[in-house]
Amino acid sequence: MDALVAQLQMQYRNYTVSLYQQGFLDDQFTELKKLQDDASPDFVAEVLSLFFEDCVKLIGNMARALDQTGTVDFSQVGASVHQLKGSSSSVGAKRVKGLCITFKEYCEANNYEGCVRCLQQVDIEFKALQTKLQDMFNLEKQIIQAGGKVPQVDIN
Amino acid sequence: MTVEQGVQAVDQFPVGMRVLAVDDDQTCLLILETLLHRCQYHVTTTDKAQTALELLRENKNKFDLVISDVDMPDMDGFKLLELVGLEMDLPVIMLSAHSDPKYVMKGVKHGACDYLLKPVRIEELKNIWQHVVRKSKLKKMKGIVTNGESEGNSDQNGVRANRKRKDQLEEKDEEEQEQERGNDKKPRVIWTRELHNKFLAAVDHVGIKNAVPKKILDLMNVDNLTRENVASHLQKFRLALKKITNEAKQQANMAAANSHFMQMSSLKGFGSFHHSPIPLGSSQFHGGAATMRHYPSNRTFAGMFPHVSSSLPRNLHNDGGHMLQGTPFPPLENLHINSNNKAFPSFASQQSSLLVAPSMVLEGHQQSTSPSFSPHLEINKRLEDWSNNIPQSNVHSEPDALGWNMFGNSTNQTYFCRDTDFGSSSAAQADSLQMKQQHENIFSPMTVAQLLRSSSANEGLFMGQQKLENGFMASDAGSLDDIVNSMMTQEQSQAEFSEGDWVWVA
Repeated sequence: MDALVAQLQMQYRNYTVSLYQQGFLDDQFTELKKLQDDASPDFVAEVLSLFFEDCVKLIGNMARALDQTGTVDFSQVGASVHQLKGSSSSVGAKRVKGLCITFKEYCEANNYEGCVRCLQQVDIEFKALQTKLQDMFNLEKQIIQAGGKVPQVDIN
Repeated sequence: MTVEQGVQAVDQFPVGMRVLAVDDDQTCLLILETLLHRCQYHVTTTDKAQTALELLRENKNKFDLVISDVDMPDMDGFKLLELVGLEMDLPVIMLSAHSDPKYVMKGVKHGACDYLLKPVRIEELKNIWQHVVRKSKLKKMKGIVTNGESEGNSDQNGVRANRKRKDQLEEKDEEEQEQERGNDKKPRVIWTRELHNKFLAAVDHVGIKNAVPKKILDLMNVDNLTRENVASHLQKFRLALKKITNEAKQQANMAAANSHFMQMSSLKGFGSFHHSPIPLGSSQFHGGAATMRHYPSNRTFAGMFPHVSSSLPRNLHNDGGHMLQGTPFPPLENLHINSNNKAFPSFASQQSSLLVAPSMVLEGHQQSTSPSFSPHLEINKRLEDWSNNIPQSNVHSEPDALGWNMFGNSTNQTYFCRDTDFGSSSAAQADSLQMKQQHENIFSPMTVAQLLRSSSANEGLFMGQQKLENGFMASDAGSLDDIVNSMMTQEQSQAEFSEGDWVWVA
């Protein structure tokens, strides 16, 4: 069993580090992990699921705003982007946050094509992140089920 | 908690400090709550600014500190900041994803104790208790000063009384006069916000033409205030008004050619939007000769606006219509909004402001205020900067027309209304689609229409979570709407302005 635990832990470590290296996550995510303790063991998962809910809602807002037949209210799109930027930066969703910055610029420039492109990308990115994190959480569960502890991963 | 207690119990005090956290973003709110708990504070959270206000109004002593996000749908963070500062005088910390220094400046000028950028770090939150200590210390000092003032005044009166008795015995009228003069020089009366408001109300009541110190003093009905105090204050008031009109005229000339200025002002328009404790001062703004309106005692947002439309535009109009073109206000309607909003907060909420309206709109103008108003300079600065800063309205505005339209077209309303349409869209169809999307790794770019469909189902979930306060926005936007519309029409048909004795003080 120990060998399995060790193996899973190794897998977990590598996977987590890769997420940081690929730019999916940043320091803020590390901070979130620090807030997780025995009193709130699912804190990170909770926050992230709230975040993904927010993503869906905000993307919906943006899509609706961009789907206007007639004049598009870019400020409205911008407001949703701003909010998404705020929450993505708070959870450490690095790529999503980066996209929001670009997205915002397109909004301010009233660039419809740019906005639509960004919207599509944001959608892709948050779903990708969702999948990755789901895998990570699954690994954690496996480690615990195998009787081990989830290791603290040190990001350089 | 007194300052002494706070200082002595430093080890204990930050622990259990009662914080009210406001943020419409549920992710950020949860993180903030957890961080605050980690600092061992006692935390109450809400995602609505309105709820926060209600909680605070229920019991002022229930909280030590408020942390609020800047961009919230139901109420602008700066507005909340101002209201909390005015009504409850609690320290407020602003929170935002905007790192632009202009927003930070705006926060500070609106009275924020601190301005934190998202993502918030726990280290920053660990020190926020200092603001509570600082504030209570300031309050204590203020208390001492005002007590000293009133004591001084009563001494003054007492001395006078003694003097009079002596004079009767000794026939020393000259001495009495000297003593009075001497007394007058003694404790300076601090023209607090409330005192100034009373002054304004009194002036309004008698009419600017009839504004004599004796009458004003009688109307104000304030103890320990002398006719001389009122007289000097009135003189300053008149001088300031004169200055405003002059500046306004100058500005009109400058502003007309300046497009950048226009842009700034449109932004300001938004900024002033949330200055709800507004308009008592509108009539003052027009100063001198204009008939002062009666100031409503409440400082609500909506309550102010009915006055707005009639006041400022009129004056402008009377100035040969030139003003309307945007004198104190940068051209366009934006300016009107700006000026209205600015004038009001200044008068109602702060004591300085006569200078505000045009000064506010015009950059750098504040410096030209009469030096005698130095105590108010800070407030003036705040007001001015409101106009100068980027508005952080709920919806990020484009400059000029779009921004203005926010009020006029109630785009804000529609913005929020839109969200409420969630439920009505094809929820059923979207449901299965949504499920698929979540569980299948669909990474191909979706069209906007697809995104719409997919997300609309989820919105049903969020309806319960986030009830956009259309009502609130609507009522505000409605009143602003009225004002703006009325200003717009007034611009075109100036004949509408012929109410009252609005005379531009030259």
